[in-house]
Amino acid sequence: MSAEVIEVRGLVKKYGDLVAVNGIDFSINRGEVFSLLGPNGAGKTTTVEILEGVRNRSSGSVTVLGEDPEKSKSLIYRLGILPQDFSFVYNSTPVEALAFYRKTLGSSTDIKQILEEVELEEKSDTPYQKLSGGQKQKLGLAMAMINDPEVLFLDEPTSGLDPRARRNIWKVIENLKKQGKSILLTTHYLEEAELLAQRVAIMNKGKIIDSGTPMEIVERHHESDRLIIRGDGNIETMIRDMGFPVRRNESYVEVNLRNIKDATEIVNLLYEKKANFEDFTLKRESLEDVFIKMVGEIEEDEAE
Amino acid sequence: MKPSNISAYFVLHAKSYFRSRSAIFFQIAFPVILMLLFGAIFGGTSYNPGTLVVQNDSPSQVSWGVINAINDSGLFKIQVLQESANLSQYIVKNGITAALLIPANFTSNILSGGRGYMILKGEASPQVANSNYQILNGVLTEVNYHIENVSQKLVLTTAVSGTATSKTVNYYVPGLIGFTVLTTMFNMVYQVPNYRKEKIFRQFSFSGLTKSEWMVANILHSFAMLVLSDVILVVIAILVFGASLVLTPTTILLSGVIVFMGLIFFTGLGILAGLVSDNEETVSVVGNLILFPMMFLSGVFFPLAFAPPYLQTISKFLPLTYFINSLNSILIYGDFSTLLVEMIALGVSSLILFVVAAKIFSWKQK
Repeated sequence: MSAEVIEVRGLVKKYGDLVAVNGIDFSINRGEVFSLLGPNGAGKTTTVEILEGVRNRSSGSVTVLGEDPEKSKSLIYRLGILPQDFSFVYNSTPVEALAFYRKTLGSSTDIKQILEEVELEEKSDTPYQKLSGGQKQKLGLAMAMINDPEVLFLDEPTSGLDPRARRNIWKVIENLKKQGKSILLTTHYLEEAELLAQRVAIMNKGKIIDSGTPMEIVERHHESDRLIIRGDGNIETMIRDMGFPVRRNESYVEVNLRNIKDATEIVNLLYEKKANFEDFTLKRESLEDVFIKMVGEIEEDEAE
Repeated sequence: MKPSNISAYFVLHAKSYFRSRSAIFFQIAFPVILMLLFGAIFGGTSYNPGTLVVQNDSPSQVSWGVINAINDSGLFKIQVLQESANLSQYIVKNGITAALLIPANFTSNILSGGRGYMILKGEASPQVANSNYQILNGVLTEVNYHIENVSQKLVLTTAVSGTATSKTVNYYVPGLIGFTVLTTMFNMVYQVPNYRKEKIFRQFSFSGLTKSEWMVANILHSFAMLVLSDVILVVIAILVFGASLVLTPTTILLSGVIVFMGLIFFTGLGILAGLVSDNEETVSVVGNLILFPMMFLSGVFFPLAFAPPYLQTISKFLPLTYFINSLNSILIYGDFSTLLVEMIALGVSSLILFVVAAKIFSWKQK
């Protein structure tokens, strides 16, 4: 059994003169959660839809579970798909929608169990149009899971949801991860990717501009860690005297650290000198900081 | 095509359909309301009370003189039927409310100094029959005075049939069945752009359901709904308005086949129209653009015999005409003579449209 469940080589998708996906390469291993990150219009959804077989590519090669999604008619039975802007027949209930999917996909999964997994059992007989945004997404997720798929495509599964609903969806995805499912997750919530994905690829304007584990990407692109200390004006002088570059903002001072040990040294000194400070925070650059920097840099370069 | 997929979508669609009050209203209640309305308005009347079909079995100067006198009165539009034609059958087949038979002995009786008896025939309600008799008798009395200043030379007797007083209602039953089939097209015209916009077709494609399976499931569902609404329609026509339809196992079965073929045609047409309607604003425009001309040019609500010849020619190109005609033939007259041609025309056009719609209609994103 191949370790790679998805392989993309030189994928290009054009709409007239517009190149939505511009020669990207990546692969996803069995049991891996891989996240495609990028701003709106980066080409994430187009890429995913090509992999799902709902959109044809212009050029390049794509295999999902060893098959070409553009040609295969049997592949759909091995996939679970939660598309962006999931929607379903307005007057149908979750139980009816799942029963329909179960029958057409030839699955024997227990509908009640799936509804419990996504915490939607109480709304099992509520018509789709009366479900909240989070409940609709849960239904979409349940429908993607009904055939116990080998690969799941989750295209912005938490987009537009409130923090609580988002965390509920994360819990379900965590469970899928534990079950060893291969998942392609697209999102523009960096926190989501950092939490759920083992590897990420950052897309911008149809190209992958970097890929790796979230940690690797942060390491590659971050500048320095920062120590934020809230307190009076003397703190700024004390830290500067220690030879650290310090910047004063309204109610706090910010120190750029050369390494993480500098933080301990500074805080210890402030305690020794009985400096008047309220609290301190160690700020490491997150994937989001790096992402904004990377995408922003490209846009700035192009503007120049 | 997998029957299990078709049945899965059929069940899903039927359950959600029965939750939609508006769908139920337009599928079942609306045709019933139309039936009640048309039945109440036209239940006992004829289509054209001014027409008088005349069969002159005693051609002579005298008999033609009488016919001319009636024509000159301007109260009837005379339509002369050949002597060889069977007047009774003609009345039944064409729903004639007023027909005047001048018997073979009419001229000899007059010339020998006797009375010339004429018979008013037709199929009409007692009110209409009485009106026709009174008007025609008035004209003949006037003619009598002109002849010899006597009032009883020409005598009019009536033999108007009272058994088919609901002939107009009979006519509206196939028309309204046609209307219910047309509404399924409207369902498609609305559903296709809506499902495309909401990306529900894309969601169906993830389920392994194919577009052909979706189309077939829709046709089967619509057929089930039509059987329900049309049975209610026919029951009301018979029980409330006394419609006299030819309902035998053969005519019922054939009606079902015709309705099914019509459904295939209008589902295909609805999908194509839905593909043209790329947004909600154009949906009703496109739908009405197809619906209304077809409804009026196919004889859904009035007989095409009254339309000018050029419109009758246009109607021959509309499959709904064959649909209505074939239902008229079997349900009203129990006449199968032209059925084969009409069913072939309907069947071929339905098949072509279904295949074209299935070919053009795509669930894939561009």
